[in-house]
Formats: sequence, structure tokens, C-alpha cells
Amino acid sequence: MSHHHPHDHTHEHHHEEVEGSWRDGQDDRPLSVARRRFLAGLGAAGVATTLGATPAHAHDDRPATPVNPWSGRGRWYAGDHHIHTKYSQDGQYEVAQQVAKAREYGMDWLVITDHGSVAHEKFSIGQITPDIEQARRSHRDVLVYQGLEWNIPGAEHATVFLPPGRSTVDILQAFEAAYDGALLSTPVANGGKGLITRSTSADGEPYALAALRYLEAQVLSGRTEIALMFANHPARRGVDSPHEFRGWRDAAPDVAVGMEGAPGHQAAGIRKADGGNGTGRGGYDASPNQDSFPGYAPTATENPYRTYGGFDWMTAKVGGLWDSLLAEGRPWWVTATSDAHRVHQDTFTPGTGDHGKTGSRGAPIDTGTPQVQSDYWPGFYSSTLVGANSKSYVDVMRGMQSGKVVAVHGRIIDGLNLRVRSLGEGDNRGVTIGGRTFVRRGDDVEVVIEVDLARGANFAGMVPRLAKVDLIAGPITGPVVDRDAFSAPATKVVKSFEVARTARGTVKFTHAFRGVEGAFYLRLRGSDGNKLTSDGHPVMDVIGDADPWSDLWFYANPVFVDVI
Amino acid sequence: MTWLGAVPALPGGHGAAHVDALLLTAFDGVEADFVCTHIDRLGPVAVTALSAHVTGEVDVDRLSEALGGPVVVLDSPDSPGIPDSPAARAARAGRDRTDGRCIRFPGQSTLTGTHPAAEVVAGSAIDRVVGIGVPVSPTDRVETLGFLRPLCQDGELVLLVEPAVGGVLRPTEAESPHECCGGH
Repeated sequence: MSHHHPHDHTHEHHHEEVEGSWRDGQDDRPLSVARRRFLAGLGAAGVATTLGATPAHAHDDRPATPVNPWSGRGRWYAGDHHIHTKYSQDGQYEVAQQVAKAREYGMDWLVITDHGSVAHEKFSIGQITPDIEQARRSHRDVLVYQGLEWNIPGAEHATVFLPPGRSTVDILQAFEAAYDGALLSTPVANGGKGLITRSTSADGEPYALAALRYLEAQVLSGRTEIALMFANHPARRGVDSPHEFRGWRDAAPDVAVGMEGAPGHQAAGIRKADGGNGTGRGGYDASPNQDSFPGYAPTATENPYRTYGGFDWMTAKVGGLWDSLLAEGRPWWVTATSDAHRVHQDTFTPGTGDHGKTGSRGAPIDTGTPQVQSDYWPGFYSSTLVGANSKSYVDVMRGMQSGKVVAVHGRIIDGLNLRVRSLGEGDNRGVTIGGRTFVRRGDDVEVVIEVDLARGANFAGMVPRLAKVDLIAGPITGPVVDRDAFSAPATKVVKSFEVARTARGTVKFTHAFRGVEGAFYLRLRGSDGNKLTSDGHPVMDVIGDADPWSDLWFYANPVFVDVI
Repeated sequence: MTWLGAVPALPGGHGAAHVDALLLTAFDGVEADFVCTHIDRLGPVAVTALSAHVTGEVDVDRLSEALGGPVVVLDSPDSPGIPDSPAARAARAGRDRTDGRCIRFPGQSTLTGTHPAAEVVAGSAIDRVVGIGVPVSPTDRVETLGFLRPLCQDGELVLLVEPAVGGVLRPTEAESPHECCGGH
């Protein structure tokens, strides 16, 4: 079912709190109590779960309210939470260069995330802080967050960032000193702590949980308004076990909120014959190592160590790891970033500074000759669209925390307006991306999807054409028994909407889930349709032959639907 | 003719291919036709162990010194007297081909170019070439790039391959994957 629809439309919805409904906190009918307890993370049957924390959206004994209520067409702010500079040993750019380029390519917000290391903690932070302050002054229309690419002890890397504040730098530095996997695994003789075997070895896992609790404590104590963590390139080396994701999420649910759905380095798979690097898209060309989770071993049917349509396998696989987390009924959001270290066809190369001794590569060198590299500038290819109340540091982070996030490649869409609501008793106003709504058992749930198609060319100079939108849904089955579970077999593509070739502007699709009997979640993804399996799924990217511009996808974050 | 297992001391911060080369160097002067690495996850931290099929005499003390760790020799099919340890587990896994990643195997040195899948199987100890997401026919070309690391699975030696640029199949494990950044 597909049709083109004019941009504007009318709608009706109920704003009022309804006395006597489930939302009435005075209502002590068992159903309402059970419903509130469910939202408080205690499960519909009131059985205490084994989880150590309540969900981010819990409202304890107050009446539950929908999360991310639908409120018409919101504003999207495009950004990138994973950017390197000369303060990374494998980076090269000035902060100012990255911010200027990101602004040129339409970014509203950025996070500077140089790698944690002994030298970074010791020498880089003091240098990068004034550079970031200067960049903010030079580009007042771009939010420039100070962050860190944290070596998660026992696992991969992650973006950690805070809004600007009096204690921001102190918190980041203390965090890195105490909890970065590189510092923890570096021998004392070399300036580290020598407390864990390797940055990725399992003896680091408790430090990762302590680190996230530390960040949460900084929020609770008021030293910072908010702090967020996103796991980066999660499947690249297979070292992020399913139980580690669950552990991070449950240790600090308001801090550890998601992962890169798509890694950076999207130019890496361009064919050598076309002037590219000819390696694995996303830099995903590894195979298992001793710290990899054995369940991710490649098989005859899939290779988790590769990207699929440019997205990480954990996100791209329907019914895979991401869905396994979502099927627990708890938030976990996906993003898309550049991971820009060295930009493909840019003429700069790293400076001659000794990063290990100074914390900086020094000023980059302009060779005048385009270099064959793997990355794009922030905003050039990958965008994380965030729905926020305003373009302010805290509001954009709140938008990310609440999951109002869409991961977009190559401008395959300009925006997305999703409304999910009960057509019977329940939340008739409905919620949008990242939200949580409710319906009375047996009633219908309506999904209205409005996609803003690209109104102009992307940075490859072509106007991308969205070919289809998949509506994916699966039951909420509650907390897993096996914390290393990474499949949600009941999650499926329930409907694929074809986008007419002639479609322009905004296209609208609707779908109804009839007679809903159990809690479920739904999410959207869309594709240019160029590379699909026979089932309509993304194709595993071919090593050395993956033109990112001819295989574009977007992934939107889920909406949870509870049943009362 | 015996299987042995070892827990070598490994240098940190280098790629798997580099570690393989160091391990094989330790076998200089030891006639071994199969050498595999194994990951032992029974302890709190995963440990890389090694197994080898030795076809001649072996000076265990010298080998142990070269590898920087204990060496255990399986002297009978059941080796009842050998206590369980990462080295013993590796030796048994290599012998039974239940698990492991083969860094040396018969026929390896002849498979350095691009070969039909049938030739890979006929000319080496590799039992099967398995494509990820694609069927492999005997005439499909396998571009080895001089680096083959077949896996022991269920008693067989299996080479996992995947489509690569130029319409060929390449082994899933590459010799020099993307250097991972980070501050180590």
C-alpha cells in the first residue's frame, strides 16, 4: 500500500488528562496499578525483575504518561557524535577544521571524541579544551560538545559526552583517568594503571559498569545536567558481548542509551579502481580475536564482522541483537556518525608531532594532493537527526536520551514524522520516535508515517530516491533470562511500503495493528532499493567493492506500545 | 607423531598475523605439519593457546622456552594421565579438530595465488570451502592473497570465504585488517 500524499494534513487528538482513565493516579483499579507498575519497570504482573535499575522513562508511583508524545511536526537537528582531531594519535585535523567542515555540511551539533589514552589524559585534554571553546566562539550556530572516545574496559569504544558546564572538563578527565581501558591496561611503568590484562579483556567489565555509574552520579549530584554514552562500531571486532550491552544499559539507563547503528569510515569500501581504499565498508574487515564473543563467529549464513548496507550487523539484522534488546521493552537507540580521522580525497596528512609525548600530532600538513582515505567529513554522508525542543546543548542531548533519533546515510531522507496511537481506549494522542504509548487490550493501534523525501542533492551531487520503507515490529517479551541472548525471532518486517518513483515532498503511509493483544514495539527503516536480498534486507557489504552512495538506508528508533 | 598443546606468551598490540609468525618461528627445527591457535575461555580472561601435530622428535623444554609458556604432550589417544589445562585442552581440540584456527597445515604453501575452490580442497588439508551467504562451486575462484587460516569445525578443516571485489571469493580472515585505533 503506497500513495503520495500532500504535505499538509489535518488530525485530531485528545490533549486532556482523562479522569478515571488509567492515567489517573488516584485510580487504584488493579489494571491501572498494574499498568503503572509495568511502566515503572516492574513488569505487568508486578513481579520484581532481576534488573538493577528502572527504565529511563519510569515514573514510579505517579500516573504513567506517554513518552515522547506526538506534537505535530518537530524540528530535526543533524549531528555527529564521533569526530577525531590531531589530539588522537591516528587523527590529524584541527578542531576548527572539523567544526567548519561539519557546519558546511549542515551539522547543527558535533561531539569531539578523541581517543582515550595515557597521553590524551595527560597532555591532550588541556589543549583541546581551549580549541573547543574557540570553535564555539567562531561558529555560534553549531553546538560543539566536548567528549571522549572511551575505550570501554572489556569492550569496544564509546562516545561519552557532556554539555558545557563548570565541571565538564573535570568530569571527563577524572572519568578517563579512572576508567579508560587503555589506561587501565597500560602497565604502571608506561604511565597506566596496569589493572586489567587488555583493554578488551573480560576482567575490564566491572570497570565499565563502575564508569557508567560514576557518570550517572555526576548527574544525580548536579555536577552536570546530563551525560550520555553511545557504544561505537559495536560489531567491528566482536568484543561487545550481549551481556555487556545489557550491563551498561542497566547500570546507568539515563547515561548508556545506545550505539552506532552505522559506523563511520563509510568511504573505506570504495573500489581501488574508483580511487578508493578498497577495504571493508565502515573499516569492518576484521575477524574474531581472543576477546570476541564466540556467538558472533562468522557462519555460512552471515558475517557479523561486516556491515550490511553500511550499517552494523547488530542493527541491520531484523530480529538480531538490537531487536533482542528492544524486545525486552527497554530503550536502546541507534545513530550514524562519521568517525572522521582522515577524509577521503582531502589533501591533508598528519602533522609531525609526537602524540605519545605531547598529546598532539601537531598542525596537519597540506600536501596539495588528494589522499586516498576511508572517512567523510561530518555531515557529508552520515547524519544523526535528533528531535529536540530547541537547539541548545541540553535539549539536543535530551532528544538523544529520549530516542528521538533517526540515523541517515547520504540524505536518503530529510525528515520523518511518526505517530503511533491507540484508535480505541488508551493513548489517542499517540507518541513519536523513541516514545512509549499504550492501548487497551484488543484495540487497534494506528501508525502514521510521513517521510520528507530529499529536496535536493546529497554531497555526491545526486538527489537520492527512497524506494521503500519497512515497518518492523516484534512482541515485547520482557527481560531475558540469558543475558547473552542476541536474537528476537518474532520480530519481523510486517509491511513494506513502496515509494512511488514520481513521489516528491512528503509521502505518507498508514498501517493499523488490529486487535492488539500484547505489548509490542515497532520501528522503521528505509532504503534506496539498490541493494536488497530477495527478502528485502540489506546485503552484506563486499570487501573492496562497496560504493556507499549507491546503497543508502535510514533507520528510525522504535516506539514501544504497552497493553493495558 | 604426537599432538602437543601450549600456552604461549604473546606480545600485545599486534595483529593476529604477526602473532602467528612469532608462534611459527618458535617451531623452527620442530617438524610440525599442523599448528592451530585456540581461544580458551574457561578462565576469567580469555587465553590464546596453541596445538601442533609434531611428526618428528621434539625437545619440549626448548619449545616451551621458545613459546614462553607451558607445553603439554598427548602421548596416547586418551592421555588419561594428563591433567586438564588450557594447553591440554588445546592439544585435544587440535587433534580432534573440534575447534581452532589453523596457521599451518599441509598444502598451505602451494595455495598462495587465486585457485579454483576444487583445487583448494584437492591440494591441501582443507576439507571444505564454505561461502558466507553464497554457495561455492568447484570452479569458483578463491583469492588467497597468500594468507589462509582455515578453521577446525566438527572434525573438519573449513575455509570460510566471502565475495570480494572482482567476482572472486576471499578468505574471511584477512592478513592485515583495518588497524584499530585507540591509545595502546
